[in-house]
Amino acid sequence: MTTAQAIQKMERPSASTPYFGMLLFLVSESFLFGALFWAYYYLKVKSPVWPPEGVHLETALVSANTAILLISAASMQAAILAIRKGHRKRLMLALAITILLGSAFLAIKGWEWVHSDFRPWDHAYGSIYFTITGFHGIHVLGGILLLGALLVRAGRGLFDARRHLAIEVAGLYWHYVDLVWIAVFATIFIIR
Amino acid sequence: MRNPGINVLSIGLVRAVPAGLAAVAAGVGLAVLIRRAVGAPGWNPGPVLAVGTLTGILAYMVALGAFNYWVRWILAGKRPEEAETKTDLPRWARYFSFDLDHKVIGVQYLVTALIMLLFGVTLGFLMRYELTSPGRTIMGPNMYNHIMSLHGINQIAMILIGVSGLMNFLLPLMLGARDMPFPRLNAFSYWLLPPAGALLFASLPAGGFDTGWTVYPPLSVQAPLGMQFMILAVYLVGLSSILGGINFLTLVFKGRAPGMSLFRMPIFGWASMATSLLQMTFTQFIGMSFLMVLLERLVGMAFFVPSSGGNVVLYQHLFWFYSHPAVYVFVLPGFGIISEIIPVFSRKPIFGYAAVGLSSLGIAIGGSLVWAHHMFAAGMEPWLRIPIMITTVLVAVPTGVKVFAWISTMWMGKIRLETPMLFASTAIAVFLIGGLTGVPLGIVPADLYVTDTYYIVGHFHHTMFGGFVFPLMAAIYYWFPKVTGRFMNERLGRVHWAIMTTGFFTTFLPFFWLGLNGLRRRVYDYDPSDPFQTLNIVSTVGAGLLVTSFFLVAINIITSAIWGLRAGANPWRAKTLEWQVASPAPDENFETPPRVVDTPYGYGRPGSVHAIMSTGGAEGDN
Repeated sequence: MTTAQAIQKMERPSASTPYFGMLLFLVSESFLFGALFWAYYYLKVKSPVWPPEGVHLETALVSANTAILLISAASMQAAILAIRKGHRKRLMLALAITILLGSAFLAIKGWEWVHSDFRPWDHAYGSIYFTITGFHGIHVLGGILLLGALLVRAGRGLFDARRHLAIEVAGLYWHYVDLVWIAVFATIFIIR
Repeated sequence: MRNPGINVLSIGLVRAVPAGLAAVAAGVGLAVLIRRAVGAPGWNPGPVLAVGTLTGILAYMVALGAFNYWVRWILAGKRPEEAETKTDLPRWARYFSFDLDHKVIGVQYLVTALIMLLFGVTLGFLMRYELTSPGRTIMGPNMYNHIMSLHGINQIAMILIGVSGLMNFLLPLMLGARDMPFPRLNAFSYWLLPPAGALLFASLPAGGFDTGWTVYPPLSVQAPLGMQFMILAVYLVGLSSILGGINFLTLVFKGRAPGMSLFRMPIFGWASMATSLLQMTFTQFIGMSFLMVLLERLVGMAFFVPSSGGNVVLYQHLFWFYSHPAVYVFVLPGFGIISEIIPVFSRKPIFGYAAVGLSSLGIAIGGSLVWAHHMFAAGMEPWLRIPIMITTVLVAVPTGVKVFAWISTMWMGKIRLETPMLFASTAIAVFLIGGLTGVPLGIVPADLYVTDTYYIVGHFHHTMFGGFVFPLMAAIYYWFPKVTGRFMNERLGRVHWAIMTTGFFTTFLPFFWLGLNGLRRRVYDYDPSDPFQTLNIVSTVGAGLLVTSFFLVAINIITSAIWGLRAGANPWRAKTLEWQVASPAPDENFETPPRVVDTPYGYGRPGSVHAIMSTGGAEGDN
C-alpha cells in the first residue's frame, strides 16, 4: 500500500474520492429525473384534464409501499452505523433487511403495474407514469444488486470499522433513491 | 517492438468483437422466440434488433474484460489493491485492449475521433457536390437526406469523442496526477464508443434516417429502422460523456498536485471543469428525449402524440436543454487549448488569468439558460422569447472576455508563428465570425427572418471550426511530441494550415449570402432561376480543399509518428506540467507528485517557476 492510500484510508469517508464521485453521479441522476419531472409537469400543464378520465391510482397501496422504502432507509443507516463501530454481524443483518425491503417494494410496484387499469400506450399520462416509475424501479434494482455485492463481501469479513468506504458510498446511493421516490410519490400521487 | 510470442486472445478487441456479434445473434433469436411464445409475430425488426443490440454490447463488454475487476472484487473477496492486474501486453496491443492508462485511453479517443472526422467530412463533401447543380447531381433525395443526417450526428459524436480524448491525455498530466480518479470507469467510457460508431455506420444499410441530427418527432417516430440504430448510438455516446464528465470533475476537484490551487491550474483545467459540469448534467436530457422517441417507436408510447395528450414541443425543450449547452461542451476545451498555446508562442503571461478561467464557468452557466433560442419559430410559449433573447445575448460577454484576453496576450509579444500558433490564432478569427454572426440569431426578429436557412449553417460551422476543429489541429501539432516523442512535419503542417484555412472560408463564407438570399438548410434541391448555383459551386470547391486538408493531416500524423524528428521533453519551452516530464510521457507520469508554486504562465518573467519537480524530471532521457 502506498502512503497516499494509507492517508486516504484515515480521512473522513465524506472527504474521499469515491464519495465525491458518487455525489457527482447523483447530481447527474438528478438531471435524469429532472428531465422526467419536467416532462410530467409540461404534459400536465398542457392538458385540459390531468390525469385523464378513467385513471384510477392505487394511492393506499402505494402509500404503504412508500412506508416500506422509508423503513429500508432506516435499516440502511443502521448498517452504516453498525460497521462504523465494527459490528460485522449487525451490518450483515441490516443489509439483508434493506435488500428484502427493497425487493418487497419492487414486488408491490410490479403487482401495481400489472393490475393498473391503464397501459403505457393508452395516453401521454400512461407513458410518463410508467416511464417515471420504471426508471425509479431500475434504480432500486441497481441498489439491491449493489447491496447484494456488499453483503457477499461482508460475509467474507472484508469490512471493519476502518475500511468500509463502499458501505458509506452505497448508503449515499440508497438514500438518494429513497429521496427520488418521495419526489415521485409527491408528484404522481399527491400533487397529481 | 513487435512481440511474436503474443497470444492474440490477450488483446481485448480480438475477444470482444466475435463475442459481441454472437450475442447480437443470440439476442435476436431469443427475442423472436419470446415474441412467438406470447403469440406475437416473431419477426419485427425494431424490438428484436433492440434486444440484440443490448445483449451484443453486454457480451462485448464482458469479453473485453471490462468487468473482470468487479467480479474479482465481489466474488473472490479480494482487497482492491489485490484485484488489480498489471498489463504485460506490448504497447501497440494495449491500444486494442481494456487498458487503464489515461494516456492510452486518450489516444484511443483521439484516433477514433479522427477516423470519424474523415468519414464525416467525406459525407459533407458528398452533400456539397450534390448541390452544385439543381436537380439530381450524384444522388437521389432520400440518399441526400440520409447523408445530411448522418453527417450531422457523426460530427457531433466525433467532437464529443475528441473533447474527451484531449481531456483524457492532457488533464492528469497538467494537474500533476498519476491517472484519472476512476481509471476503470474511464476505460469503460471509451469502450462504449466502438459499438456506437458501428451502429452509426450500420444505420445507412439499415434504411438510414432523415431527421437531421435533431431527431424531431413525429418524423423521427416514423423514420426507417436506421433511426433506431442512431438513437442507440447516441445513447452510448451520451452515457460515455456523462461518465467521463464525472471522472474529469472528480479529477479537477480531488486529483490536483500539492500546491495546485484552483487559481494555479492551467486554463485548460478551468475549461475542462466547465465542460465536465455540462456533460455530466445536461446530457441526461438528450438521453431522455431520445429514449422517449425510442419508446414511442418500440412500445407505442404517446409522449408526442397530440391526440393522446402528448406534445411535440416537449421534445424540443428536452432536446435543446442539452443540445445548446452541448455546443459549449464542444468549444470550451477548444478555448482552453487556445489559452494554453497563445502564451507559449507569444512568450507572455496570459492576459487576465482569473477572468479567462472564470469566464469558462460563466459560459457554462449562461449557456444553460439559452436553449429556447432554437425554438423561436417552433410554436413555443411566447413569454419565453424575451428572457431567452436577453440571456442569449449575455452569453456573448464571457466569450468576448476570452477573445480580448487572447488578443491582449499576443499584443507586444514575441510571436513565433509555428504550426500550433497558426492554427490557434486562426481559430480566434474563425470563432469571432461565428460568434458575431450568432448574436443576430439570438435577436427574435432577426432570427425569424434567417432561421432554417444556410445562414444558420454558416454560423454553426464557424463556431464549430473556430471552437473545436482549428484548436484540435493546433493541439495535435502542439502535443504530438508529448504523445510520440516526435515532431509533426512542420512544412507539411504549414501547407495543411494554408489549405484548410482557404478551404474553410471558401466553403462557409458563401453560406451567409446563400442564407440571406433565402436558400433553406437541409434541402436537396433549389430552383434554377434562384441565384444560388454560383455560390454553391464556390462553396463546393472550398469543401474539396477542406476535405483534402483533413487527409493531409492524417498523412502527417502517420508519417511523423514513424519518421518524425525526435523531440525533447520540452520543445516549445512551455511551463505547464506535462512538458516537465520526458517525451513520450512516461507510464507513471511523475516519479513523485510535483509541488506547484505559481500559475504556469510566467513567460518572460525572469525566474518564474510553475512547479518544483523531483530530481530527474525535465532533463529526463534527453
